[in-house]
Formats: sequence, C-alpha cells, structure tokens
Amino acid sequence: MTAPIYITGCGVVSAIGLNQKESLETLMGEHSGVGQLTYLKTEHKEFPVGEVKLSDAEMRNRLGISDNAITTRTALMGMLALDEALKQAEITPEMLPEIGFISGTTVGGMDMSEQFYLDYINNDAHKEYISVHDCGNCSEMTAKHFGDFAFVTTLSTACSSAANAIILGANMIRCGEAEIVIVGGSECITKFHLNGFNSLMILDTKPCRPFDATRNGLNLGEGAAYLVLESEKSAKKRNVKIQAVLSGYGNACDAFHQTASSPDGEGAYRAMKEALEIAGVKTTEVDYINAHGTGTPNNDVSESQAMMRLFGNNIPPASSTKPFTGHTTSASGSIEAVFCILALQNGFLPVNLNYSQAMDDGIIPVHQSTKKDLKHILCNAFGFGGNDSSLLLSKFEQK
Amino acid sequence: MTNKEIYVLSAKQISIQQPLSEEWMNNPTLYEPAFYRSIDPSFKEYVSPIEARRMGKILKRALATSKEALKASGLETVDAIVTGTGYGCIENTEFFLDALSKEGEQLLKPTYFMQSTHNTISSLIAIQTKNHGYNATYAHKGISFDSALYDAYLQFRLNKISSALVGGHDEMTETFYQILKKGGVIGFDNEICGEAAVSVVLSDKQENALCKLSGHKIIHQQGIESLKEKVAKFLQGNGKTCSDIDFILTGISGYKENDEAYMLETKALFGDRPLLKYKNLFGDSFTASGIGFYVAAQCLKSGFVPRNMFVNEKDITDKKPDNFLIFNRSDGTNYSLTLLEK
Amino acid sequence: MDELIYKLKQEIIEALNLEDMTPEDIDENASLFGEGLGLDSIDALELIVLMEKNYGIKLQDPNQGKEIFKSVKVMAEFIQQNRTK
Repeated sequence: MTAPIYITGCGVVSAIGLNQKESLETLMGEHSGVGQLTYLKTEHKEFPVGEVKLSDAEMRNRLGISDNAITTRTALMGMLALDEALKQAEITPEMLPEIGFISGTTVGGMDMSEQFYLDYINNDAHKEYISVHDCGNCSEMTAKHFGDFAFVTTLSTACSSAANAIILGANMIRCGEAEIVIVGGSECITKFHLNGFNSLMILDTKPCRPFDATRNGLNLGEGAAYLVLESEKSAKKRNVKIQAVLSGYGNACDAFHQTASSPDGEGAYRAMKEALEIAGVKTTEVDYINAHGTGTPNNDVSESQAMMRLFGNNIPPASSTKPFTGHTTSASGSIEAVFCILALQNGFLPVNLNYSQAMDDGIIPVHQSTKKDLKHILCNAFGFGGNDSSLLLSKFEQK
Repeated sequence: MTNKEIYVLSAKQISIQQPLSEEWMNNPTLYEPAFYRSIDPSFKEYVSPIEARRMGKILKRALATSKEALKASGLETVDAIVTGTGYGCIENTEFFLDALSKEGEQLLKPTYFMQSTHNTISSLIAIQTKNHGYNATYAHKGISFDSALYDAYLQFRLNKISSALVGGHDEMTETFYQILKKGGVIGFDNEICGEAAVSVVLSDKQENALCKLSGHKIIHQQGIESLKEKVAKFLQGNGKTCSDIDFILTGISGYKENDEAYMLETKALFGDRPLLKYKNLFGDSFTASGIGFYVAAQCLKSGFVPRNMFVNEKDITDKKPDNFLIFNRSDGTNYSLTLLEK
Repeated sequence: MDELIYKLKQEIIEALNLEDMTPEDIDENASLFGEGLGLDSIDALELIVLMEKNYGIKLQDPNQGKEIFKSVKVMAEFIQQNRTK
C-alpha cells in the first residue's frame, strides 16, 4: 500500500460527447457515437467511425483560436479536454508553472502531414505545418494554449499511450517531483492509421461487437481525455473536491508479436495483476473491468484469457465501451478512465453495446444496463507491440 | 522511496562515428556541416535475415546497441525497457505516406504501417529478449531520450525496478531531412546533422560500472530566472555547488543561434565552468542528448576528455574528470540536467 | 506454369523484402509458413496485397490465405485459375 493519488479533475471529448456530462448521458442512455464518416477525407466510406462531432474550425472557434493559427486536430481535441479538466480541478493559469503535463499520442500531427506531404516534397506550400508533424509538438501546442507548465512530455506506446502517461504522472507524484500532474492523451483519426489498420485487415465494416461470437474487427474512433492527478497533501490544502482515486497501475509487455496479442494474454495478465498488487486490492474486490475489448478476434480472446487466469471463476462484470466511441487508439486509456470515474460516481455498469452471442473461450460482457454501487474498477489499455497497461480506479470515500 | 544508487553499467552507440566502438575518443571521423547517415555495423550477428526482412534501419540499430549494451552489462535481463525517439520510425512512415499520397488508399503494405509507430522499437527489443517487464516509449522532440531516462530514474527511486535498458533512437531519411529542413526543424547552417542510436543499461549494482547517475531533471521553459532557481535546487539536491562540477556538457553544434543561446545561458547558470561539446563529432539529431549521455559516461570511465570536445581553448586540461553535468537545451523550450559521477 | 512460378518467387522476394534470397532458394513445394520459409501472418497480408496488385485477385477474408499460401506452387495454380490481369 502506498499513499493514494487523487484525481481532482477530468475532461473528456469523444464521439459520445464534448464533456463529462454529455458522455455520462450517452453512456447511460446507451447511444453509440459510431456512425458514418463525416470529417475525415478518405475513400474508405465503408468503415463506421466514432468521430468527434466538430470540425477543426468549430473547435478553434470554441477555444477562441484564430482561424489562421497552425493547429492539428489532435491538439485541438486535447485543448477541449484539458480545459474541462483544469476547470473541474479549479486550476488557474498562475498555478501551471508548478504543474506537469504528460500527454499520449501516436499520430501527432499526421492529419496535416498526410494532407500536405506532396507539397512538402515538391514546393513551399503549407511548409508552416511541417514543424507540427511530431508527437511532442501536439503536447506542446495543447499545453501552450493554457500557459507555461513546469514539465511537458509525450508518451507514445500506440493504443496504451494515455494509460502510460497516467502511470508516469503517478510515479512523479509518488517521488515528490510534483504535487499536481495532468495526464492523458489525445488522438484524431487520420487517413494514415485508418489505412494502416485496413491493411492489417482488422477494421469491421459493421459496428464493432467486442466479445461477441460474430466480432470481426474494430471501428476507429477519436478523442481526448485528461485527468488531474494530485497528492493527498495538495488536494487537502486546496480543499478541492476529489473525484476518484488512482489506487493502482501496472505496465507489462506481452513480448509476443508487433501487432497480435498472445493466446494466453500474458502481458494483460501481468498488467492487471500488478495494478491490484500496488493497491493491495484482492481480485474479489474488483467490481467492474473496463476491457480494452477492441472487437478484433485476436484481442478479445487474449484479454478474456488474461481475465480468466487472474480471476478464475469469479470474473467481475466486464464490458468494452468501444462500441460507443470506436477505438480511440492513443487516447483510449484516459477516455475510458474518465468513463470509469463516471461509473464510480453514478453507480452503473456501462453496457457492451452490440453484443448478442457468446464467443468461444471468452467472457460474457455486461449487456444489460445495471445500477450497482462500485468501489474498484480495472481499466485496460493495450497497444501494438504488446504494450499492455491497466489502471485501478477507486471511489473516494471520506475517512 | 529509497535512496538507491543508480549506476551506468554500459553504453553503446551507432552514429556517424565508428559503430559500437569508442574509436572516436582517439581517432574520430571528422565531418563538414551537412547531413550524414550513420555508419552501420553488420547486423547479421544481431538479427537473422529472415527476422530482419521487415525492419527499418532504426530497428536494426536499436537491436544491435541494445544487445551489445546488455552483453557488456553482464545482466541477463532487465526490469524495464524504456525508449525515447523524437520522430520514430521515419523510414517506414515515409514509405507509407508516400504510397498513400501517390498511389492512393488501396493496396497499402501492412509492413510499412506496423513498423511505423514509435513503440515498435521498445517492443521489438522486448520480443527479441523475451522481456515481459515494464515497457514504454517517449516521443518529445530533443528530450525524448531524457524523458525515457526520467521514467527509469523515478522507478529506481520508487524501488520498482533494479535495472533498466534505456535507449535513444532516431533515424533520418534524405526525404525527411529535406522536409524538416524546409520546415525549419533541422538542418541549420554550419551544423552537422546525423542519426543516432544509443542504449544504456542502468542498475543498482555497482560492479564494473562506467559511472554513477546521481541526478536527472527535465525543465519546461519559463524564463532564465526560473531556470536559475531550478538549476540551483538541482545541484543543492545532489549535495553540489556549481564549482564542484568539473565539466558542463552542452549541445553546442556550430549553428549560430543555438550556440549563442547556450553561451548566454551557461554563463548565467554556471559562470565560467568549463564547457564541452559533442555535436561537432556526432552531429545533431533528436537523440543527441542520448549521445551526450554516452559520451559523458565513456569519458568518466576512461578518465580523459578528448581535446576536440572543449568549447574554449583556455579550458583544455588533462585532468581526470570526476563528474559531468549534461545540460541539454531543446529549442529553448525544454531543458534537462543529468549529473553523472565517477 | 514454370514461368509463373519463377515470376511469383521473384515477386515474393521483393514484396517480403527477403533481401538475401534468390528464386532458386525457394522450393516451390515447400510450405511458405511455419517450417518451410518461416513466414507469418503479416507476410500473409503482404501476399494478399501482392495478389491483388499483380493479378487482380481480391481476397476478403485473411483466413482464405491459409489454403492458397500453402506453397508457391499452390499459390501459382490459384493465380492461374483466378487471375483477372
């Protein structure tokens, strides 16, 4: 057992809402945000996606950013989410020079690079976008909109990037390197990774069906979410409302294949186990697992196996919220962590939409809306290359 | 929290100097300002041709430096693999972007995509060394390696790990060099631009160590006064005053704007402590600070500083170094301080 | 048929970046996956791209590849029967 890390603010943007309130209503109302492609310019209209329902121009407008400014969609979504998190945690600009900011992304400014690549090679048009290509730039751009942070860095572990940003932030607080660190991730859909996932033949042309016998791939999504992590000392001193507790976290490597998960879910098993061990929470105390559950045949079997190994015959209720949002890739770890916090605060189990029929060797996900008092939730995020992470989020209870 | 000591057991590089060797200390390869790709060793020893069929240069170099660093460390396995890469697997990113832009959205090769993500490097090392431990990748401009080091450094202090393989890997293609030059990101006047792969093994065991990692901090720019305060606090936290530092290892590169800023800031922060450089030998890259770490560790081990590393002639000395403070400045936005001691 | 087999071997070497191999190194009856050439699921995806690009054959289900990619010879026979270009 170690000193608790408090979560004193959250912000979330995804296909099911531009803030926590909208996300909660959509989760409880069981409406998917996945639908026909609108904003991304691609030939692949056959794939359903979970887009954030704003154009870049509309986001700039909401943020008060001039239309001539050089921005990327990943950074813009990040700013919307960060704004909500800062407000909820009552963090003012004067406080930022003492606060760290850690963001996860993999595509970075690829949305611009893929539009202007031939210009970059052939002429000087759009050359002002070249410097926003890299992942680090997205984090800097997001942070800069609000002021000068004490520390800024970027995690890039594919689909577990945001979860790993949360882990670094927690370690910083535990080391006394900062009292407050804002952590999470952001990722927009790009033609680059839509085509990449398509080349790996893991996109479904129908709405995704995690843990279902008929599952046939994932739907891409996009979004951003940030969590304000804070030490007990600082939260008490500021007298700020505590939203939830990050009581454990684990990171392990499946070390199996660059794009496939091992049949026995070794990495996932280790990550979940470590998260529980850090927290000193027993497997029987976990009330819900927000699974990575992408809907690919491979992931869902591997993740199910990992759960069976860790929990035996007593697997807690589990579901994937990806049918709501699509797979938000690098941002999924923090977006789903915020969903878990909403579940803790409002006492409900998010439904695994689109489920109809049990798969072989797999779990049966939560498929009916259930009100339930929840104390501990495991939230999984796994990335290519077997970068597996798991977070244990717990309800805050006044002692 | 523990006050566990952290030692650097090994440090290996592939760059524009002779690969996997410290030949540069006595007999460096010298370059005129321009872009150069690394001098590659034969990779057959590290990866079979059939396994290498999908790997870009960056992955082969990462495997070679990692395997050599692990071998030299004497450790069979490490508790964590953490990598920093500013731009990631550029070669495969370029192939995929190029095909996407020229040939359209049909019939794209999955290999280019799956080997384009930044975390391919760390995970490949894990797959090849069968390592299920902590695994992460940082991509934050010129402090990517520093961020990876910071992650490991915190976990040592929290007693979560007792060994780690920390890497810094960046490759650069001719096409991306031209693009980034056009964008004002790299390729400045009077500067050598290179590629770099660095792997270091850290451990809480001292045996055969190159040096000790005493302190590490990353600072986001908030003005020179704040920087002064943070540097002072860093030194104090490590029981040092400015005059205790033998050498400040800087990223002075030949590019006027960068060098002037370095001179001004080091003067304000460290007075007239002797300044060293390494980018005149290794060139600049997003992983240059990893090379800086390697250079400092090797100088401490061998007990001398090559003369061509001194920024000012008046500072040239044969004195055996006891410590190095690596002062990394990335675009004037991010800074890092790394204290290595004998 | 022999001509197609030879051409296919060259195309496989190029598509899969088997740098040090020549068509003569590949036994047309040997298994491409597992024991034989040691290819994996990603190579199968590359072979699917190859078949569509060079022969106009579109496979929708990656599992179909298991039968077709048994050996270079089986693959060549499938191409001969189904090619559209």
